[in-house]
Amino acid sequence: MNSGEFSIPIIHNTVSIMTPFLLAGIGGLMTELAGMLNIALEGLILIGAFFSVVFAAYTGSLMLGILLGILTTMLFAYIFGAVTLYLKANVFITGLAANLLAGGLTTVLSFYLFGTKGVLRFEGLPSLPVLRIPALHGIPVIGDLLFGHNILVYFGWASVLLAWILIYKTPFGFRLRGTGSNPEAIEAAGLKPGNYQMAGILISGLTCGLAGAILTLNLGAYVPNISSGRGWIALVVIYLGGRTPFGILGASFVFGLAESLSNYAQGYLDIPADFILAFPYIITVTAMVIVSIIKYKTQGDSK
Amino acid sequence: MRDTSSSKFAAAAGLGITLGAAFLIMLLMILIMSETPGKTIYFFFAGPWANTYYLGNMLNAAVPLMLTGLGISFAFRASMFNLGGEGQVYIGGLAAASLALALPGLPGILGIPLALAAAVGAGAVIAGLSGLFKYKWRTDELISTFLISNALIYIVDNIITGVLQDPESNLLVTRKIAVQYWFTRIMRPSNLDISIFFVILLAVIAYFYLYKTHQGYEMRMCGLDPEFARYGGVNVRTYFLLPLLISGGLHGLAGAVSFMGTQHMLFKGFSGGMGWNGIAVALIARNNPLAVIPAALFFAYIEAGAKSAMINADVTIEIAAVVQAVVFYLITAQALYSWIDRKHRRRSA
Repeated sequence: MNSGEFSIPIIHNTVSIMTPFLLAGIGGLMTELAGMLNIALEGLILIGAFFSVVFAAYTGSLMLGILLGILTTMLFAYIFGAVTLYLKANVFITGLAANLLAGGLTTVLSFYLFGTKGVLRFEGLPSLPVLRIPALHGIPVIGDLLFGHNILVYFGWASVLLAWILIYKTPFGFRLRGTGSNPEAIEAAGLKPGNYQMAGILISGLTCGLAGAILTLNLGAYVPNISSGRGWIALVVIYLGGRTPFGILGASFVFGLAESLSNYAQGYLDIPADFILAFPYIITVTAMVIVSIIKYKTQGDSK
Repeated sequence: MRDTSSSKFAAAAGLGITLGAAFLIMLLMILIMSETPGKTIYFFFAGPWANTYYLGNMLNAAVPLMLTGLGISFAFRASMFNLGGEGQVYIGGLAAASLALALPGLPGILGIPLALAAAVGAGAVIAGLSGLFKYKWRTDELISTFLISNALIYIVDNIITGVLQDPESNLLVTRKIAVQYWFTRIMRPSNLDISIFFVILLAVIAYFYLYKTHQGYEMRMCGLDPEFARYGGVNVRTYFLLPLLISGGLHGLAGAVSFMGTQHMLFKGFSGGMGWNGIAVALIARNNPLAVIPAALFFAYIEAGAKSAMINADVTIEIAAVVQAVVFYLITAQALYSWIDRKHRRRSA
């Protein structure tokens, strides 16, 4: 997987593990800034994971698979957004609905299309192209951080920069943030806050679709419930990242590193698999509580 | 939500539309996916009523849902979220089973209350943890309940399939608890047991607690308007902790009740869906403890129908999850209710 003699597998793995958190986090940030906690991220990742690999298998093209997978995820996000915004439903309950629907729909479709509710293996699926610059792989740490990853990882990096520009350097970003912090001002300016929230939801559909695509296309298979809590962890990543794109980049690196370390430890210590599965949730909730303590101590009793 | 007669009508009609839409989507799915749609639809709707066995099992499945639905109602009434129901049910079942397996010689009159208390305690501690974090540092309970519950599910999995695993079974199950811990069956050959009466009684008690006691009043006030409650001298932070303790306790109890009359042992993943369904039950019941009873029966019916359709026809049980998702989507849709309200007003004006 890695050519350089200074290669550090843990860092290399960290980068691939963190990318779904990063992408889902960037998407979730868009709705977060527009004043909505988007708990549907989990379901969106699952939809992206399922449909991108299924479409890739049907069309025989990775690019079409990813594209159609993203479009399906955005459609799914649109339904969630439309019910929430136009029918004025509670965003947490519709978020749960999206997660439930994603779990149910992927299983029902898997059974209907492939006759199984288990793992779907797709033989002969091309693997994701990997960026290789052998001369640069040898640089310690940097080599593992930046090179030798599949191309979707670079979409993750790019999303940080694009999100930063979109949020801080465009009128759209200004209004998006205004929707969250001061919706009356947005309305007074003759704009509709709902439009910016919908835009945020659609962007999170796009990035979660990509996040899901990485999970299944890397494997060449679909595993039931493959999102396994990543959408929820992404919510905490947004919070820990201080609701900024680069903060989210840092926070997802920390989560990726922790998971990568625990995978590594599993190889050496005899830790039961169940505990390895529980580990991401435990560190996430621990991190969340620690940050809330710090915030509480520094900001006092005020919200 | 104001309770004028007109908005009561809107609530009922909105519920009807929501459930109708859910069933329509399910019918559509069956028409597309089933090769024998007529047969599938028949078994979905009629299956649960076929005989006392199916009917009793459906009622039996509603019992833990009443408890989780009550648990969620308490949290929602106080405007607190509890998304950790799945894990709280699971750990409650584990606590009851561990106690029963550790003390197999105890007489039932002592053993059953102890096992149930262990279940309530375990669930309350787990949900209470999120309540405590919120109480002390305002940690968001919506996310923390979910994360703690999910971590717990894997750990309980490990205990069920490890320490407690029945060495003589090839399945991922614990040993059976001693006979004196078993709840008495009341509708043979089905699994329905006497716990249904106690749970209905509990719903009545919950109703009186919420609507007729001072503490229940304060809890509801904190849910409706925390600023107003604070102004009225209520210690609002107490109601970050208390509703989650009650909510977790009821979920833990659901875990115990779900196996002590039915399989008499735990199997891996036995709590699957009870927590999420509890949320749906509470939403349909609009957090009213008495309305939780029919709402739980309705959900048990959907599950039983999907199971019957899976056994007798060619669809998978997860179509129930899709139906539930539609209910979740529409049940809080304010626009739907105000639209009905306007139509209704215009007609009666």
